[in-house]
Amino acid sequence: MNGLMLIARREIVTQLRTKAFVIGLLVTVLLVAAVSYAPKIMGGDSYTLGTVNSQQLPLERAAPDAEFEWRTFPDEEAAKQAVLAGDVDAALVDNARVLTDGEIDSQLGVLLQSVHREVKLGEAGVNIPPLQIQSVGADARYEGARAGIAVVLVLVLFMLIIGQITMVAMGVVEEKGSRIVEILLSSVRPWQLLAGKIFGLGVVGLINMTAILVVGLIATSVSGLSADFPPGMTGLVVGVLVWFVLGYVFFATLSAALASLVSRQEEVSTVLTPLTMTIMVTYFVSFYVVNNATGLLATVLSYVPPFSSMVMPVRMAATEVPLWQVGLSMVAMVVAASAVLALGAKVYSRAVLRTGARLKLTDVLRAK
Amino acid sequence: MLEISDLRKRFAGGPEAPEGKVALDGISFTVRPGEMYGFVGANGAGKTTTMRIVMGVLQADSGEVRWQGRPLGYDDRKRFGYMPEERGLYQKMKVAEQIEYFGRLQGLGTGEAKKAAADLIERLGLGERRNDAVQALSLGNQQRVQLAVALVHDPAVLVLDEPFSGLDPIAVDALAAVLQERCRGGVPVIFSSHQLELVERLCDSVGIVSAGRMVATGTVSELRAAESGTLRVVVRDATPGWADGLPGTVTIEGDRHILATTGADDQEILRRAMKAGHVEYFGAEQPSLTEIFKEAVA
Ligand SMILES: Nc1ncnc2c1ncn2[C@@H]1O[C@H](COP(=O)(O)OP(=O)(O)OP(=O)(O)O)[C@@H](O)[C@H]1O
Ligand SMILES: [Mg+2]
Repeated sequence: MNGLMLIARREIVTQLRTKAFVIGLLVTVLLVAAVSYAPKIMGGDSYTLGTVNSQQLPLERAAPDAEFEWRTFPDEEAAKQAVLAGDVDAALVDNARVLTDGEIDSQLGVLLQSVHREVKLGEAGVNIPPLQIQSVGADARYEGARAGIAVVLVLVLFMLIIGQITMVAMGVVEEKGSRIVEILLSSVRPWQLLAGKIFGLGVVGLINMTAILVVGLIATSVSGLSADFPPGMTGLVVGVLVWFVLGYVFFATLSAALASLVSRQEEVSTVLTPLTMTIMVTYFVSFYVVNNATGLLATVLSYVPPFSSMVMPVRMAATEVPLWQVGLSMVAMVVAASAVLALGAKVYSRAVLRTGARLKLTDVLRAK
Repeated sequence: MLEISDLRKRFAGGPEAPEGKVALDGISFTVRPGEMYGFVGANGAGKTTTMRIVMGVLQADSGEVRWQGRPLGYDDRKRFGYMPEERGLYQKMKVAEQIEYFGRLQGLGTGEAKKAAADLIERLGLGERRNDAVQALSLGNQQRVQLAVALVHDPAVLVLDEPFSGLDPIAVDALAAVLQERCRGGVPVIFSSHQLELVERLCDSVGIVSAGRMVATGTVSELRAAESGTLRVVVRDATPGWADGLPGTVTIEGDRHILATTGADDQEILRRAMKAGHVEYFGAEQPSLTEIFKEAVA
């Protein structure tokens, strides 16, 4: 195994062993699972109805999303008590009257009336074909699901990238501040050390990301939520993983380069401020894009690195993006990440052995 | 053979000292295979700077380090063992794991690294701490781990910056034994130290630096030859004033007069001492390294 892989392996093993990683992973996985079930728990109307000497109406045929529960009461008085106590939303008496507590829920009222009418007409031999609904606008069926997926994705991308690049920065400073670099750099080259660290912590991030996606997919299919998902989920999942890697490489390299300017852990957050601000801006822009996925801002920023690393996956989730656009944007991001890698490796290898006071980025770049 | 020739290094100064600071002003010495080389000098003399340049952690402004006749390169350095002045270990990593990790980085296979680490842990008396995190160890024990890291890959050259500082006498002996063993195996060893008796005891050759220059370098006996020794005479029940007019100093301890002098006519002194009283001791003493050092950097 060469130096780079050994360094990466150490990072992975060290991270996976920490309590913080295990707990963090558990918490995110539980959160994702909970989110996958949440719409099921909160959403969908459900009604409890009573009957007295009446037939149950086939309401679910008219409202497939809602749930109906029926109870039978022996007489009108019992039904009235149940309505007043709130045990049932309404009670149907003698196939003719509906008892309610005050005004009836308007949707339920319309449902009861129309289904009742249909049943009666059917009995009289009249058959009315239901109206055919035809949309002339965009396919809006999956809009809600798409927006939901996009919101979750951008949050996960943001949290994982911020988390992992902070790890990179702290690792760089740990080695610089404690002078471990002096020993490391007498046996590996600076770029190997840098690349090994970024790679190792990236794998840890990818493990996290994969766990979240897998749990999300399983949980939504178990909860039945995935029935509402738009087609092309596999493409989206793969896309998100690629975007995570690209965004991570870009930001992690900058993070390592900036961190190599300081020698103490307390200085890390200060020196990273410009970078964390950029990521925050990217995050907020992506959040805005969730609801304006076809706007000009969304389209333009989905090509501009590093914004594209979060805006494009959000666009992909929120609307349909032609493959060539995704490809073009990825190429741009790869180019940007490579440029950042070259620059970052230069800064890092020049700065990492210069312990002491915080170095200026311009000085490091200017030095021969 | 490791040849260090005419190293020069100036550190850039800050705004208040724009001219900078000359740390090395022509450092040259040679360490042969199987030679233990002691590198001594006052604080700030330039020892650490020299060693960092040898290890490639710092670039010299001019001068050269050669190994086996060729300029020292990255691949050669990989086979060096280095102990930096500022100790650096992963605080949360376990002792054995850490030594193995550095062994692997320096090119050992998994099995080799395990075995080498286990041997060193035993030799350096860390057996009971092998599965403790480094941060839980005392300073001296952390130091032992640091040494193990420098030694684990059976290095071709050892460059150790103050390896003995902070060790208890038992650990000093253990380390000295390990170094002597490596040395006998043909490895050149350079170490810096402020414990001059130790350097005198262990080293074949010594280099003395002062303000970035080599003021003396050579074997201990060569350095001694350059200095004349001290003549010491102990006379019991001597007549007071017997040594008046002789160079050197007389100290009186009870009924003994002790004369210490350099460069005087020893036969003349012996005659006068025998006349003055009962001569208990008469001998020329070798200068200690401490004396040579003080003389050299004065
Ligand atoms: N990074 C640096 N920037 C500026 N000056 C430095 C730097 N490193 C060392 N020096 C200066 O170089 C000179 C030599 O320092 P060096 O650390 O080599 O001394 P040393 O012989 O190892 O001393 P000690 O016995 O105290 O360890 C000192 O005057 C020191 O102030
Ligand atoms: Mg020093």
